[in-house]
Amino acid sequence: MSAVPSIDASATAAPRWPWLPGFLAGEARSWLFVGKSLLAIYVTGWLAMWLQLEQPSTAMITVVVVMHPQSGMVLAKSFYRAIGTVTGSLFGLALIAVFPQQRELFLLCLSLWLALCSGGATFYRNFMSYGFVLAGYTAAIVTLPAITNPLNAFDSAVMRVSEVLLGIVVSAVVSDLVLPARLRGVLRQSARKQFGEFIDFVRGSTGGSIPRERMEQAHLAFVRAAVQLEDLRSSVIFEDPEAHARSSRMRLLNQRYMAASTSFQSLHHLINRLQRRGIDDVADALIALYRPIGVALTAEPESAHEPALLAQRLHDCVLAMPGQVASLRKTFTEPSAQLEFDTGAALLQRFARELGDFTTTEAALRKPQLRGSVERVHFRRGNDYAGAAVAVLRTFLTMITLSAFWVASAWPFGSSAMLLATIFAGLLAASPNPVGAVRNTLYGYAAGMAMAGVAVFVLMPGSDGFLMLVMTTLPFLLIGPYLGTRDTMPGVGTAYTLGFLYILALKNPMVYDPEHFFNDAIAQLAGVALSALAFVFLPRVTGSRWHRERQLRRLRRQVTLAAQAPLEGLAWRFESVSRDLLQQVVAHTRPGSDEAHELLAWSLAVQESGRAVLELRQDLAAGELDADGRRHVDAALQAVARLYQSPAAEAWLQADREVLAAISATAGMPRVRQHLHGLRSALHDPDSPLASYLPSTLTEPVDAA
Amino acid sequence: MPHEVAFHGVLMPGLLPVVIGCLLLMVLIDMVAGRLGLYRHVWHPSLFRFVLFVCLSGAAGLLLLR
Repeated sequence: MSAVPSIDASATAAPRWPWLPGFLAGEARSWLFVGKSLLAIYVTGWLAMWLQLEQPSTAMITVVVVMHPQSGMVLAKSFYRAIGTVTGSLFGLALIAVFPQQRELFLLCLSLWLALCSGGATFYRNFMSYGFVLAGYTAAIVTLPAITNPLNAFDSAVMRVSEVLLGIVVSAVVSDLVLPARLRGVLRQSARKQFGEFIDFVRGSTGGSIPRERMEQAHLAFVRAAVQLEDLRSSVIFEDPEAHARSSRMRLLNQRYMAASTSFQSLHHLINRLQRRGIDDVADALIALYRPIGVALTAEPESAHEPALLAQRLHDCVLAMPGQVASLRKTFTEPSAQLEFDTGAALLQRFARELGDFTTTEAALRKPQLRGSVERVHFRRGNDYAGAAVAVLRTFLTMITLSAFWVASAWPFGSSAMLLATIFAGLLAASPNPVGAVRNTLYGYAAGMAMAGVAVFVLMPGSDGFLMLVMTTLPFLLIGPYLGTRDTMPGVGTAYTLGFLYILALKNPMVYDPEHFFNDAIAQLAGVALSALAFVFLPRVTGSRWHRERQLRRLRRQVTLAAQAPLEGLAWRFESVSRDLLQQVVAHTRPGSDEAHELLAWSLAVQESGRAVLELRQDLAAGELDADGRRHVDAALQAVARLYQSPAAEAWLQADREVLAAISATAGMPRVRQHLHGLRSALHDPDSPLASYLPSTLTEPVDAA
Repeated sequence: MPHEVAFHGVLMPGLLPVVIGCLLLMVLIDMVAGRLGLYRHVWHPSLFRFVLFVCLSGAAGLLLLR
């Protein structure tokens, strides 16, 4: 509204309810999802009855679990769910074939299998983890109902697999064909935004100096972008054959992006250090050398982020660089200044090359047709075995407790309780607050079952035919998917629909059995509650203080790995694992807190040193060195590896000494020497967390050579 | 082709291998069409792919299992 009071209020044409269009758009999206979910549920139910499957409700439940507003998510979930289902049912069959008469051994093995599956699930993000949960859960679904009648196990397995696969196929077809909501647009948009932001940041920092704070924030933003892009890519490839064909290029793009951002940070830290130590002439020369990159990236506004154009200009810039380096180098006469300048210039040229590679890949991705093939790289994740072990132990204890209770009490509905506990112990292990999530689930589940009670005993007995079935259940079923689209109560919507469909237990012809209904309801609620109890007694380690410190140690150990692991594919692995680790831990720290600050500082130091170590090892592998130099460089690498493994003043002194010795031993090898000098200068960085291990006597250290 | 296939003693409909073969064929078609960007010329790519799959498996089923 304007600040000037208008004479005629209606003439300003201000909308009466400014929030209305946004609200309606959000509601339209929600109701579209509700409509698609219900369509998929009922089509599945009808088909399951038409095909005379034993339990149409299993197929309908599958639809509920798989449905997601985004088509790519549904297809990705379906793909992994299908794999999990087939694996799980095969294992279930094998299990029942081995222990048909031995319930103790059978339940022990089943509990172990479920536990291992839920541990495996913690190793993966996205829906791959879901496939693991499902592999465990399907084994339980197939075997538990058949346990009293082992001869039936095969038929039961075939039925369950058919039902689950039917549900998967129908939900995939419905969500992909009926007004699909594409994830691909989101991926394209965020990839373009990431590219634009990185280019802008590089262009905007040609002044040379970036405060450490701003660099940390930028680093965090770059890491988030890289991890998010990988997450999106792994779902979109299921949605779109074109994206699938571009998958390996997208991976390469992300790796090149990470490599370029590491070089960029190293370069700026180097310039910052030179300025801080008062070696301004070298810093100014490097900034002068950097300026052409900024100029190459400055295009007319309409083509500012046009990768094909930028790639061409960067290529020209890289070609012109050696000449500029030679002319600027003439101004330095002292060997120490020359070494500083050479180190910076080599880093700068590496950065320019990597930036050029990055833009070239982006340009190739934006073309409508692809030519040739590219190097296959993978985005590795930093997985934690302790978290997985806790998940295994938790699921195992839950299952074995329930089994023991079931066996001891001869509870007729023990299998229902076990099934439900399996599902939720596995599904919710990945949620940030599992106890709260189980509580939400319990409320939703109970509400769904209550509604199902009304539907099944009040409305359904008088109805006849599939149309009447839809009419009696639709009003209740609407609520679940709609709640699922609200963020205020995560998990309630899905739990509601699950509870409703599970206890409804649609069959053709329908069976009405109040006694069974209430017994089953109690058993299922007990199963859900027991999975909550398991989370209370064995809480998730992810995000705890212990876990954060552990992950920080693992982040530091990436430098050790960079120095010791086999070199094949190590560069890609280092860049992705170190970023994934940072992203995992930073999600559990408060932004701006000391802890977050320390973490980011360590991450920057790890990126810089690790990259320098990798470059050195590539020099070693290229065989440029004589035996003596090789021995010295190796010793320096090991000393740096030890320093990052367990940082201490002693280790720092040792690393510094070894690197210095290596620098003097490689006088005839300019490349190796520059890398060593870069590494040493990173060790001496007063902004890095390593500075706290620096002996106080060393104030003006880096004038080596 | 026989109407029922025995796989390690388990009888399965003969249509199953046909459908799986058509799925593999679709993966191939997707790879080629994705690289060449052919699906950009189609109004509703996923509908087109679904219908193509139905046509392929229907035709193969009718031809092979008559």
